[in-house]
Amino acid sequence: MEEQRTTPDETILTLLEKAGRGDRQAFKEIVRLHQQKVFLLAYSILKNREDALDVVQETFMRLYQKLDAYEKGRNFQAWLLQIAKNLSIDYYRKHRGRRREMEVDHRVEDLPLPAVDYRSNPESSELGRILARNLDRLAERQRLIFTMKHFNGLEYREIAQVLGISVGTVKSLHFKAVRNLKNWLSPQLGMQT
Amino acid sequence: MVFMGGEMSERDREDIRRHIESCAACADEVRALEKLLEGVDSLGRDMQAALAGIDWDGQAEKITAAVWDRKARPAKGPGRERTWLLAFQFRPVLAGLLLGILVGAGAMVMVYRRGLVEKPPVESFFASSEFLGRVDQEIARRDTLDYLEKSQYVLLELAQTQTESGDCRLTEAAARETRQLLSKKKYLNPQLEKARMLKAKAICDQIELLFYELAQVSENLTPAQCRGIQSLIEEHNILLKIRLLKKELQESEA
Repeated sequence: MEEQRTTPDETILTLLEKAGRGDRQAFKEIVRLHQQKVFLLAYSILKNREDALDVVQETFMRLYQKLDAYEKGRNFQAWLLQIAKNLSIDYYRKHRGRRREMEVDHRVEDLPLPAVDYRSNPESSELGRILARNLDRLAERQRLIFTMKHFNGLEYREIAQVLGISVGTVKSLHFKAVRNLKNWLSPQLGMQT
Repeated sequence: MVFMGGEMSERDREDIRRHIESCAACADEVRALEKLLEGVDSLGRDMQAALAGIDWDGQAEKITAAVWDRKARPAKGPGRERTWLLAFQFRPVLAGLLLGILVGAGAMVMVYRRGLVEKPPVESFFASSEFLGRVDQEIARRDTLDYLEKSQYVLLELAQTQTESGDCRLTEAAARETRQLLSKKKYLNPQLEKARMLKAKAICDQIELLFYELAQVSENLTPAQCRGIQSLIEEHNILLKIRLLKKELQESEA
């Protein structure tokens, strides 16, 4: 994840230009740099590893088709994740018959948003495991924003671009998520109730 | 959280740091948030471990290969579906079909030209304007005859009334008939004009005038009124005209 966070805009621009000219290696490099973030977002929405991997592939296919549409100066990562989010929602709608356990709704905030199955990891800390359980208790949009902020490493501005909402709303929902987690985890956090 | 996340100017951070040093509640809050972030970091590491289970390099290669494969493939869609029929092995079939269609069309043209196919009888109705004119005239003739017949009955009744005795009155039936004849005349006018039966129209107009006179006076006519109307009938030879016109119309029956 560190590697993805430090990707400079100029590098991406160069890679995009090369990929646009048909440079296979450049395109592969773009995929390599961003696929995990796309996967995390898709997995957050679809709750299924294989489905999320399908969406990752479809996202980069769509990216290749839209290379000409990318505007210089625009946040590439937010743009890519926006494509991934839309494709994830489309995928969810298309396969919702298969997902009977999920509620049928179109809004991203109403989609189930779990985290990766890290709870079974024996190395994880007790606090981490409790946090994972409590993440599931958050309202969907709060959980999506919390995931994007802390596990995808996105800034408020980028999350706002991905979700198509204002930065203020993102900040407000993130604050609510943190407040809820802090309240639920107060004994573990050593807070006096 | 903003303070902890570093999304704040150094000056603001310094102010808050100074405040925390002197505020126990806020210090507690910060400690709790620090611990929460530790949990988040721990969870992040677990997630990285879970993600490590996926061969991302292989995945990148697979995705790139899929994109390049799709790029190299001819576009899907109707165009591609159309081309299979034009494939080499189907060309004789297509040629046969085309030849069959051409031969069939040619045969049909020949058959129709020679009149080998019996044409269905035409059952459409045609009427000339002359015929339609005669129909109009006949209808007008019959309606005029009917009008004259009824008028004659009313006028005869009035003409035969004994004026000397002073008992000069229209029966209720005759009065009703008078009113009906007046309204009927309105519908008869355009028919007569259309059929150019001008003489008949002139006589019918005179009868109509008489009926207007009758309609204006009450059913109980005074002897003077009665004599006035009778003299009008006699003066204009209405009854004679009616008889002659009737005879003429009856003879001109189409």
